[in-house]
Amino acid sequence: MASDAVLIGRSLNGDVDAFVEVVERHEAAVGSYLARRAGRDAAEDLLGEVWVAAFESRRRYDQSYDDARPWLYGVALNRLRRYWRSRPAEDLVADVTDLATGWDPWAAVDLGVDARAVLRSALMRLKPEEREVLRLVAWEDLTAADAARTLGMPAGTARRLLSQARTALRDAPGVSALLKERNSAKERHR
Amino acid sequence: MTDELDLVGELGGAEPLRPEAYQRARAVLRAAMADPGTVRLLGAISAEDTTMETTSTMETTTTTREHESSPAIQRRRGIGIAGRFGIGAGVGVAAAAAVVAVVLNSSATGGAVAGKDSSAAASGSAIVDGSADRAPLMTLAGSIKTITPSAGDAWLVKATQVQGTKTMQVVYTLYTDGHAIYTGNSVKDIKRAITRQQDQMKAGGYAPLLKAAVAAADSSPADGRTQMLKAAKDPLVGLDPAAQKAEWDKEQAAAQEIIKLKGGNAKPKPYSPQAVQQHFDNALWTYSTEALSAGDGNTQVRAGVLRLLSTISAVSVKNSTTNGKATLTITAGPEVFGSEGGEVLTIDAKTGMLVKDVSTVPGLPQASTTYESSRVTAADL
Repeated sequence: MASDAVLIGRSLNGDVDAFVEVVERHEAAVGSYLARRAGRDAAEDLLGEVWVAAFESRRRYDQSYDDARPWLYGVALNRLRRYWRSRPAEDLVADVTDLATGWDPWAAVDLGVDARAVLRSALMRLKPEEREVLRLVAWEDLTAADAARTLGMPAGTARRLLSQARTALRDAPGVSALLKERNSAKERHR
Repeated sequence: MTDELDLVGELGGAEPLRPEAYQRARAVLRAAMADPGTVRLLGAISAEDTTMETTSTMETTTTTREHESSPAIQRRRGIGIAGRFGIGAGVGVAAAAAVVAVVLNSSATGGAVAGKDSSAAASGSAIVDGSADRAPLMTLAGSIKTITPSAGDAWLVKATQVQGTKTMQVVYTLYTDGHAIYTGNSVKDIKRAITRQQDQMKAGGYAPLLKAAVAAADSSPADGRTQMLKAAKDPLVGLDPAAQKAEWDKEQAAAQEIIKLKGGNAKPKPYSPQAVQQHFDNALWTYSTEALSAGDGNTQVRAGVLRLLSTISAVSVKNSTTNGKATLTITAGPEVFGSEGGEVLTIDAKTGMLVKDVSTVPGLPQASTTYESSRVTAADL
């Protein structure tokens, strides 16, 4: 199977279907990424614009990377930023962690409403760039190096931000207790 | 062992996008790739326009008009969100403008208003004047039900949508003789839709309209109209005159609010049985032609739609020739669209299948969709 980089190369040589194939490989992941950050309705509106923006900027894609997903997340994030800037504050989801409760009641049950509040509060205390790296790693399953590609920063910087975010989270009021409770519960069930 | 990353990960659930959203997004991309000018236009699409439902900039352009609209427009949007699959956007554009005009243009006299009595208006039925002019539609509707295609087991229809001189999108649709409909922006998309059993006849956003069209093939004209309007969730159909008037006034007031917010000025159109009849005719044209563009390769859908169109008094039918082939030209003039714009469908005179659809809205580039149909064997795609 041709890598994303090869397909993007082909699309630069006029192979229209090659770029569509890249899109098809990553549309579910990028769609979920948008939905997590802006809600499903906005995500559905934004997805096409992300593909057009990616197509327009494919010449700048670094073909030394086989996997285009981190780059596509970066394109999507740029589009999200435009979207957020264009929206009145009251229309924006106050906190992304609220999105999960909107559709999956079991997430709230599993995690517990109090625990969600604790985590939400801890996340909001992080620096924005720490939170961004953390989300990419925790939600999109990226490595710190891939998150760095998404955010256009050196890999070392992303690793440092991730480490800072994790430390801050562990030390946040309530989170350490939550972790302790979770892990001791698991011990009891062994 | 749970760590802080696991906890954060548990917060990352998101409602999945609907399958048609992926398809729409790919269509936006393909339109952009087909015409670099489109890229710039799409880039200009406002992020605030969360009601955008298809891929064409034409529809985006008309969004403002849709806001100034009657219940019918809101109904269209509802269908779109539920899963329109893109084809026939040009039809929707003209029709959308039409509904706006019918409701808002208080001076529109509708020279060919069909119904005069309130009971007819309440049920959405029509008194069909000059129906002899549209007799070819009824005749063709009867004959196409008996057509037996000579080869293959499906119709493959390629619809090319052009706005002005820009190709906005190309949609491929496979209509099997077993009445399934699979659609996409390429034959590859269709094959995938078959694998995933995404039969638009059963599950797509057009399914209610397609079913109503099929029912209309064997119903009385009046029943067919009512079924189509109900499938489209028209808020006025089936109401008694008093309830109809209340709904009408409510929608007019809402439209006025929006127009005011946009700095516009238009007199509300007063309720009358004639105004309601115009609204029904306009809505019927809109939804019937949407069903036709979505279900073109299905003989029952075509038969039903032709019967429905024959009930609209402001529709005229003429014999024509297109590329040496006998065709019928079906024209919905300004009367259907509240005195502005129009739409012309060209269909094959033997099969009833779409050949071309041209819609005109004053002040906007002409939108046309050209249909190329061929018999295929689905397994050989």
